[in-house]
Amino acid sequence: MRTAHFLLCAGLAATLAAQRPTPAPPQTGSILITGGTVHTGTGKTYDEGAVGFRNGTIDFVGYAYAVKTGYDTVIEARGMQVYPGFILPDATLGLGEIDAVRATLDEEEPGDFGPEVRSAAAYKADSRIIPTVRSNGVLLAQVTPRGNLISGTSSIMQLDAWNNNDAVVKADEGIHLNWPGAFRHTGWWAEPGSTEKEQEERRSRTLGQVRTFFERARAYAASDPNMVDLRLEAMRDLFTGRKTLYIHANAAREIQEAVLFAREMGVRRLVLVGGHDAWRVAPLLRDKQVDVILQRLHSLPQREDEDPDLPYRLPALLKEAGLRFCLGYSGDMERMGSRNLPFLAGTASAYGLSAPDALRAITLDAAAILGVDQRYGSLEPGKSATLFISSGDALDMRTNHLVHAFIDGRHLVPGSQQEQLWKQYVSRPAK
Amino acid sequence: MPTRTFRSLLIGACLAATWVHAQQNVPVNGPHDRAEVPVAFIHATVHVSPEKTLTDATVLIQGSRILEVGKRVRVPAGAVVHDLTGLHLWPGLIDPFSNLGLPDRSPAGYERPAGARYWNRAIAASTAAAALYSPEEKRTQALRAQGITTVLAHRMDGIARGTGCLVSLAGRTPSEDILLPEASAHFSFSKGTSPDRYPSSLMGSIALLRQAFYDARWYTAGGKQEQRDADLEALSHLQDLPLVFDAGSAQNVLRAAQVGKEFGLKFILRSNGDAYLRLADILATGSPLIIPLKLPEAYDVEDPFDALEVSLGQLKEWELAPTDPARIAEAGGVFAFTTHGLEDPADLWPALRRMVRCGLDSATALAALTTVPATLFHATDLVGTLEAGKQADLVITSKHLFDADNVIHETWAAGRRQVHQPRIADDPRGLFDLNLRTAILKLRVKGPPGKPEAEVRRPEGDTAWTKAVLSIQGPVVSLWFEGAALGFAGPVRLNGVVHDQGTIWDGQAQGPSGEWFAWSAIRQRGSNGGKQQEKKAHAALDSIWSLPTGQVWYPMNAYGTTQFPDTETVVFRNATVWTNGEQGLMRNADVCIHQGRIAAVGQQLNTAALFPKSKVKVAEIDATGLHLTSGIIDEHSHIGIDRGVNEGTQAVTAEVRIGDVINPDDINLHNALAGGVTVVQQLHGSANPIGGQSSLIKLRWGRNAEEMKIDGAPGFIKFALGENVKQSNWNRHDRYPQTRMGVEQVFYDAFHRARDYAARQAHYAGLKPKDKEATMPPRRDLELEALAEILTGARHITCHSYVQSEILMLLHVADSMGFQVNTFTHVLEGYKVAQELARHGCHASTFSDWWAYKAEVMDAIPYNAAIMHEKGVNVCLNSDDAEMGRRLNQEAAKTVKYGGVAPEEAWKMVTLNPAKALHLDHRMGSVEAGKDADLVLWSSNPLDIRAKALMTFVDGVRYYDRRRELDQQTLAAAERARLIARMLAAKRAGAAVRRAQRQEPGQWHCETLGEQP
Repeated sequence: MRTAHFLLCAGLAATLAAQRPTPAPPQTGSILITGGTVHTGTGKTYDEGAVGFRNGTIDFVGYAYAVKTGYDTVIEARGMQVYPGFILPDATLGLGEIDAVRATLDEEEPGDFGPEVRSAAAYKADSRIIPTVRSNGVLLAQVTPRGNLISGTSSIMQLDAWNNNDAVVKADEGIHLNWPGAFRHTGWWAEPGSTEKEQEERRSRTLGQVRTFFERARAYAASDPNMVDLRLEAMRDLFTGRKTLYIHANAAREIQEAVLFAREMGVRRLVLVGGHDAWRVAPLLRDKQVDVILQRLHSLPQREDEDPDLPYRLPALLKEAGLRFCLGYSGDMERMGSRNLPFLAGTASAYGLSAPDALRAITLDAAAILGVDQRYGSLEPGKSATLFISSGDALDMRTNHLVHAFIDGRHLVPGSQQEQLWKQYVSRPAK
Repeated sequence: MPTRTFRSLLIGACLAATWVHAQQNVPVNGPHDRAEVPVAFIHATVHVSPEKTLTDATVLIQGSRILEVGKRVRVPAGAVVHDLTGLHLWPGLIDPFSNLGLPDRSPAGYERPAGARYWNRAIAASTAAAALYSPEEKRTQALRAQGITTVLAHRMDGIARGTGCLVSLAGRTPSEDILLPEASAHFSFSKGTSPDRYPSSLMGSIALLRQAFYDARWYTAGGKQEQRDADLEALSHLQDLPLVFDAGSAQNVLRAAQVGKEFGLKFILRSNGDAYLRLADILATGSPLIIPLKLPEAYDVEDPFDALEVSLGQLKEWELAPTDPARIAEAGGVFAFTTHGLEDPADLWPALRRMVRCGLDSATALAALTTVPATLFHATDLVGTLEAGKQADLVITSKHLFDADNVIHETWAAGRRQVHQPRIADDPRGLFDLNLRTAILKLRVKGPPGKPEAEVRRPEGDTAWTKAVLSIQGPVVSLWFEGAALGFAGPVRLNGVVHDQGTIWDGQAQGPSGEWFAWSAIRQRGSNGGKQQEKKAHAALDSIWSLPTGQVWYPMNAYGTTQFPDTETVVFRNATVWTNGEQGLMRNADVCIHQGRIAAVGQQLNTAALFPKSKVKVAEIDATGLHLTSGIIDEHSHIGIDRGVNEGTQAVTAEVRIGDVINPDDINLHNALAGGVTVVQQLHGSANPIGGQSSLIKLRWGRNAEEMKIDGAPGFIKFALGENVKQSNWNRHDRYPQTRMGVEQVFYDAFHRARDYAARQAHYAGLKPKDKEATMPPRRDLELEALAEILTGARHITCHSYVQSEILMLLHVADSMGFQVNTFTHVLEGYKVAQELARHGCHASTFSDWWAYKAEVMDAIPYNAAIMHEKGVNVCLNSDDAEMGRRLNQEAAKTVKYGGVAPEEAWKMVTLNPAKALHLDHRMGSVEAGKDADLVLWSSNPLDIRAKALMTFVDGVRYYDRRRELDQQTLAAAERARLIARMLAAKRAGAAVRRAQRQEPGQWHCETLGEQP
């Protein structure tokens, strides 16, 4: 019975695999995309522009008329839009497949401190969800473990890979700390939770544990220990700047505490994730050089009395406050929903952010915040040819329509299982 | 009636010449204690009733009764006399909502009561408080210490809680203390310790109570011939008693009154003290209220970041809650007070004083503690005032009862005395000169008057106090201290007598070496030092409480209103109009609305010609460059629902109704309006195959629950299939069905039963009058009634569904049982069976792009809507989510991307198509003359990612206006600033504060279980 079941599963898996697009081979000939509107991600746009790339690297960006050299393949993109690949920070793509089926989830370890847990070890490059996200222009993602206080170590992945090793763009680049909530609401009207005092005591105990952990990690990093402590070892590079500390916090008071704490501990690179109240503490964030990965803009206000539009206006508020930020999509149903990342940027542009800035918030600024802007995030000579062509405005749901996509110059095989099902059933014969 | 008999016995006892001191039928060991010595209270200020006060008057009592009250009462020889010069005498207070002597059951130790009972243990109507009451000494003392001498006690457990009894707190045997054994009957919305799983939601509780009342009718009408049931028996007869409903919030108060109305019952409603939130509605029910003497504490708002977490609603609640009783009284409502919910009954006084400061008339306040409860529970011949013949329930105080520095000295309950604080003359506290033979020391007596503490020191300098041990037994005082520090060789022990109203103590003392000597202590001053400070603090707080308060907002949050907008007569000029009708997309068009309807749609409308007879003033809105559409209709929503969207405890719960639990104050309703939504179907969740009845509302923001309902909307009910109903992703796996096979059989079982039920009812209804009389009417069953409505087409199904097999299965059940499946909702594999859906005329209401959250949605594709649309199915896009619900225009836009649906058709998926699915398309869903003026003015093409709703009209009323919103935010910010300043001042003046707690309201989804999201 068990064997039969196993065989059935294996059979099913084989069918599904067939429905997944095959990862693209490395770029061989040079390619020029010409005639389209080129959005570079830096803020600059070329109408009737062109992008040329060879061996995975861009060697031309500018107006189409200015192209001097010859290319093996020319893609005519007149009337279309060319974008750098969108970048999804703080995501769990590849760490889970079906929310309700525990066996398909590899997001979270128990325990409070798990910096040693690496997303790169579990990333499922052949997830059925990934092609659907890619199809909307999201080509890179920061894959992040979820969990308690310190959830683990994230890596930056490109979304067209044979396996997890193949997918890595930047391995083990950050540690994620979920700052303890300052205003946790426990219990409810019929069953009051713990008292305020108990909650406060618990929180201050937790904060104490975080402090102790960081103090030990800092001391460990400064020494040359004769045995390996996996947790502290994982923390080591926070103090050298080779890893970024991503602190997840939303309320003003939490952000304030978290940022001051991290700086006091000597953490070099610091990024705030969530940041619902970041605009309220902007001077502090500027002063401490903290970038922000904003919470999913398509959310409800966090407080009853807030402006219903406040979540949508957060990017404009941060921009106005002089902070650098990018847009995240974490939260409920985040994996399948993350294909909507472009539309968060679209929403931001409806609520006070300029269109180029909105684009930047899912391209260049995202790359910079994640530390991969040397290669990714914008269309500039010398950078990776990670880009796509959309037939229309990719930030609007009506016109986001991916025609070609490239990661490191590799020409992606379009489609997803969803598109196959569409084609299959739309032609189901009438009975 | 037993109650009446019992009472006449009591009255008889009052009139009898001989007073009985103890229970008559109990044998006494030794001679009987027969003498009833009268007790006279003279020279008191007697507060006979809230309206009548006598100065320098006398109250004469004997045994447990009052004999006489007046200014010219002759005190008989042989009476014990208490001189109450300077003191006040009040009737004992009554608490009409108590569980004294009837502690809660522990759920763990719950045992099913033996005997023939109602199937659901939350219906415990046969519970009789009088049979269970057992005195609780400590709690009784605590209540007595506050002047409370009578309580109405009931067991606060269950939905039907049985009867309550009126109890004197005299501390005798229950036989004597229970004044009225069946004084009341009690109900609530909370199932309490009942271990039955049903009900798990508020709507389930309401449905259960409703069914129990119908069952009780059936039982009386002859059902008792078929089965025996002590609870139904009780439920039928206790309806003649005063009925108390433990309701709570203003919304629940209205819900309870609504249930009562259905059965012609008027409840006395226990409120949370927030009736002011919906005062007019609550008063319109005509129900008296019971209000807790508990007020919300202030928040600590000193840190502005902390203060962010305090909502405007919480700030306003803090300010307005103390005005609640005054508002009710002013509007002519009747209420009584209770101390229920107070940790310490003594806390009633600060709350009451604050209410008085906020405009509550003292006499009304006193009435709410005395005559009102006495009247409500038909006990005016026993308690409530100081009048001859009533219980000798008296309270002796130093000042007016509500004064901040009033002291309650004694309570007498049924003639039984209890001293709480000795009267002033006996107060031993103060500073004395202690004259010993060899020395004059200072003696200080402090602490509570009943338990004084003493200390002594040398008179000169700042020498430390030495602790002394003091005991005062009546007039005899004993005191000893270690004399080493005070110039004695060892302990000094004193015995003496108190004279001259406590100003002089004297007697004999024995020194360290056994020598005897005389001593005296002369009082230098009483102990008032602490009081001065307290008084100052009271004054500071009182002045804050007396400040005028803000207005009530509907609802009480930043987007609430004090004034409801009217319907407008407006013409939108030069708009791009998405008519959804034959005219399609009209550019440069005008739309005129009047009296809640669309009056005309056309180019360059001549408004004068539209209303030729009347002089209607038509306002103009320049909509050049803007888009005008009909309001978005969300076919599947769970916003605006209180305490549970699922009653999933049974496979079939067709009897529960979302319409019973609408929460009109949910901020998500406002968020939805701001996203251009005008109508939502509030659906039951998907935890069971046959869920509850939906409610169809328009977003008339600020209005009450009943006003939001759409008049004449057809009935809908939620069905569900798949993983949720078979409990795949939950911890329990024990309720049938656990497979899709079982789901099918649940439907067959339900509809076979419903068919038989309908036949039984029809048969009875068709009987000739004579035969009808001779036939027992069939039991009314609300579950089967709802299912039978489906069979007749009077109720429509919205069925949660995912995979193709289950969709085809339900279609098969429907075909074979003769009903129609109106809508498949979610229907994520609808694209696989689109032709079957189209053939059956089913509507489909789906998500634009959700998938991968369950195994059954792995084949879900965002092209679903497009394929079904293409194959002729009426397709709607719904939210099932408060967040997505406010940007359904974007969800519609996704169908343009996924599958290439034409923009106008995409737009219909969130407007006209759901109107069709809800059978409301004759009134809504398109911009055509004659239809409801549910309109949205958009900044651009509504499918554009950058589109914003500028105005949302419902029935021609502008419930949302983006520009007005800014004024509203300014108003709310100012109100907030004012309240924060006041709260800071209150803290400075000594008010207690609590830390801010974020009130993040959870959001309901299909599969949320329990009463909290």
